[in-house]
Amino acid sequence: MAAQTSVTKRLLLVIVLLTGILAAAVLVALSSGSSREGMGASLAIIFGQEDANTTLETIIWHLRFPRVLLAVLVGATLSLGGLVFQALLRNPLAEPYILGISGGSAIGAIIGIMLGLSRFPGVTFCAFIGSLATLALILVMSSGTTILKKDALLLSGVMVNAFCSAVIMFLVSLTQDARLQNIIFWLMGDLSSADSLTTGILALILIPCFLVLFFFSHAMNLLLVGKETAQTMGLPVKTVTVVLLVLTSLMVSATVSYSGLLGFVGLVMPHLLRLIWGPDHRVLVPACILGGGAYLVVCDLLARTLPQQGEMPAGVITALIGAPVFIFLLKKSRR
Amino acid sequence: MIPPSVKTISFWLVIVLFALFQLSQADAKAVVDQMGRRMTVPDAPERIVALAPSITEIIFALGRQDRLKGVTTYSNYPPEALILPKVGTYIRLDLERIVALNPDLCIATKDGNPKSAADRLTELNIPVYAVNPRDIETVAQAVIEIGGLLNAEEKARDLAEQMHARVQRVKTQVAKTDQRPRVFFQIGVSPIVSIGTDTFINELIVLAGGENIAAGSTAYPRFSREQVLALAPEVIIISSMTRGASFEHIKAEWQSWPKIPAVQNHRIDIVDSDLFDRPSPRLVEALELLVKLIHPELFGNP
Repeated sequence: MAAQTSVTKRLLLVIVLLTGILAAAVLVALSSGSSREGMGASLAIIFGQEDANTTLETIIWHLRFPRVLLAVLVGATLSLGGLVFQALLRNPLAEPYILGISGGSAIGAIIGIMLGLSRFPGVTFCAFIGSLATLALILVMSSGTTILKKDALLLSGVMVNAFCSAVIMFLVSLTQDARLQNIIFWLMGDLSSADSLTTGILALILIPCFLVLFFFSHAMNLLLVGKETAQTMGLPVKTVTVVLLVLTSLMVSATVSYSGLLGFVGLVMPHLLRLIWGPDHRVLVPACILGGGAYLVVCDLLARTLPQQGEMPAGVITALIGAPVFIFLLKKSRR
Repeated sequence: MIPPSVKTISFWLVIVLFALFQLSQADAKAVVDQMGRRMTVPDAPERIVALAPSITEIIFALGRQDRLKGVTTYSNYPPEALILPKVGTYIRLDLERIVALNPDLCIATKDGNPKSAADRLTELNIPVYAVNPRDIETVAQAVIEIGGLLNAEEKARDLAEQMHARVQRVKTQVAKTDQRPRVFFQIGVSPIVSIGTDTFINELIVLAGGENIAAGSTAYPRFSREQVLALAPEVIIISSMTRGASFEHIKAEWQSWPKIPAVQNHRIDIVDSDLFDRPSPRLVEALELLVKLIHPELFGNP
């Protein structure tokens, strides 16, 4: 019982603290942008103190807000994706991008775009199929007991990624389709396509998934201890594993079809949060949602505001931060 | 005094509303653009953003640059356009900068700008009029359309007539010879890319009395050096994005194949790609330049 209260307490603390950080990140992101309007004026509009400047109001609520919201959703999803894969595959370096799940979704999404399907549900569905295919491949490759499991998983992920990018370049070279003009930006992870409608649809897909994952957070704790232990404690291990993997793939493929490949988000946040609050998934799931959201908002803010002209894909920033973190974690896990 | 009845009040209300409606109508007009989208644009738009370099050129040619408040990154002609606020490239428009300029009209190109960007601006109550310049004739048409939008009808008609007259002059020149040299027009260096039939550069080559050896259904076909050798071009024209600096290098690469007729006769030239890849009124300049390169004999240079 005492343990239960301490979890509730920690959960509350985490939620309050991270909500504060997320809110601060969202405010800064809403009040900065390429039009270089004063931050003070933007804040005044956000808090409803001023209504004279309708242009700035349009910019904040119709251009920046959907994009910031998309960043929150995608960041939360990818962090959760990392958390789930790390728990289920019991590998601290697992992450949708590193495993090749994102790459598989991207192939599906590009095929969907080339078939002329609409972004939702067509392209998202194709991306989902692509992610399931790569997921199956990864599970088959990593299930063998004879090979070193951890490294085999990462290596197969690297190879799946190499194969996926080759297929993507192959598809892109085959077509001169105008719809693929922005493909390079999209492949590097780009949130600029956000508008109210797409962000709304994505929220409708993702938020229920977040809730389900939170519902399964205790199960993830048990799985982390070990499959046999979990089984003896009455957990239907196979069912839970399949549900969690399919759900995560659905979430990741939905974000990939909107914002492309944002690498390493699922690595940086779960590890950071685990470092601070320990390995309890009942705390980590909400922490990943809020913290991952804030992280991608900040990355996208940097991507939007660092270049003098135009912007860079947000995936450039996430990879610049994430890849060194990956190398550090790899070194640490070898010791 | 008898208080006015509800009927009287509503009568006057209707009259006033009707008058207001008429007034608001007087400031705006309904138009249909080249994407078939119906929209209301101001009668005399004052704050215009040009969403492609070609549109910027057209607006300057019409003398309406005082109304131009924003252009795309590579809008470098005329040089005065360089100082105007930039709103991203025509493919990756920075919507926030466009909205911040508070435009009352954006002018886009149908094939160049992404439709999603135009749709989003429309959602934000900024009319986006798309023109569709694909060749000299449709550039002239776009000039007329934009002239109509910007109250420069007469200037636009003059400009279009001049374009037609200059094309006619080139046709007369070319009619003097029945030679049609085989032209290879290179727009990409690595890989080698040329232009197919359905492009305005193909139209320019044909008008200038040349034969486009890359003609075919692919708009921007890729070539290996082997294929170009086999096609034996008599004239090679390079329109390089990278300009000057690497031209000598590209030329040297071709010159290592002396079997190519163009190499034997020293007929490798570079042209300013801005002149050739923008559907702007300067296309006729490009055409006049091309005739001189394809048929130097017509101008007394054997």
